[in-house]
Amino acid sequence: MINVLLSLPFVFIVSLGFSIVLYLVGAVISPKNKKTKGKLAPYACGEELPPQKFQVNVRSFFLYVTFFMIFDISAFLLAMSFSVHGPYPAIFGAVIILALVWLLMTWRREKKRA
Amino acid sequence: MVPQEIVTLLQVFLFPGFLFLFCLAFFSDWMDRKLVAKFQNRYGPLYTGPKGILQPVADFFKLLAKEDIIPIAADKTVFSVVPMLVLALSMTPLFLIPMIDYSALIWFEGDLIVIMFITTLVIVAMFMGAWASTNRFSTIGGMRVGLQMLGYEIPMTIAMIGPAISSKSLSVSGIVQSQAVGIWYVITQPLGFAVALICLLAHLQRVPFDVPEAESEIVAGWLVEFSGKKLALLKLSKNFELVLAGSLLVSLFLGGPLGFWLPHPSVYFFLKLIVCIFILSNLRALFARFRIDQVLEGAWKYLTPLALLQIILVVI
Repeated sequence: MINVLLSLPFVFIVSLGFSIVLYLVGAVISPKNKKTKGKLAPYACGEELPPQKFQVNVRSFFLYVTFFMIFDISAFLLAMSFSVHGPYPAIFGAVIILALVWLLMTWRREKKRA
Repeated sequence: MVPQEIVTLLQVFLFPGFLFLFCLAFFSDWMDRKLVAKFQNRYGPLYTGPKGILQPVADFFKLLAKEDIIPIAADKTVFSVVPMLVLALSMTPLFLIPMIDYSALIWFEGDLIVIMFITTLVIVAMFMGAWASTNRFSTIGGMRVGLQMLGYEIPMTIAMIGPAISSKSLSVSGIVQSQAVGIWYVITQPLGFAVALICLLAHLQRVPFDVPEAESEIVAGWLVEFSGKKLALLKLSKNFELVLAGSLLVSLFLGGPLGFWLPHPSVYFFLKLIVCIFILSNLRALFARFRIDQVLEGAWKYLTPLALLQIILVVI
């Protein structure tokens, strides 16, 4: 019983429950007014902005995301390998640095082509 | 004798559980507002409660009672789920932090990584909310949320790994207990502390790094379309994030609830937490906003090498 009470999923479910209760309280005590067209339109400062979905330019993210992934994995490797003796952390580190060098070379080639 | 189950239940729900965390979140919001007001030569909250201490609570319930508008083009399910999810996700990691004792209510080997994972998940939920609200301003704000995360997440992770390496434990409680034997990590790892502080400021989207909600450029950034109860939940979750950032700094670098002679360790924890929140608000009152490219460049060119340097110094 105590194990269940002091587990992360239980705490997460209870906090989700608290947020849902607050949301429902808000739904009960907030006024329900008539929904006009202007009220439901997307926010704009005086311009006419029709509601439409936008494409996020993923290409500009790509390089950052790749670096992010490499560094995140290397950070966790660092975290996990502090008690390991032997060459394994160094080998993993070398693989990561190789991947970084390869990525930089590809990036420069792409830049030349563009 | 009271059964152990009831004691645990009271711990989870009252102290240091949910009720207490709500009070702490509102208190930190009040302190933040009052301090920034003092720095800017204003009064800050005055009327509700002594010195306006109940003003955040009043504001929360006022906002909860406002009309809630869902724009016609928004993705209604995601748009409504995101505020609840963000609030729940920012409340959960606070249970992994040792506040009144040397070990937290919930602790296991690796909970530091769980905290980092949950903070990233909050950012992803924010991006989803911005995306679902279908507005030009909020789409730009959401993109900036994502980009900023790509910048500060790496140095923050590496800076927080430093104490874990020194203490040979991946649990926040273990790191606190190892500081009881040795010295506080802010003394041995000052660079890591500075990097973690800056990155947490970026994670909180506070003033030098408030690009995602830059109110003078893109209205309210990713929050533009949220109103009424949704905005109330999101603002409350920001207070929880502030408490989480402060208590992470306290327990990783400043020795958590460790003290010298006062009777109860929690006193020390809250004193240190107040100092950390003071630093975070102080920086908010001092700086102007960076541009998003400056944030990313600064994070990759300066913060990441500094954090790596700290790790190398720790390992040597």
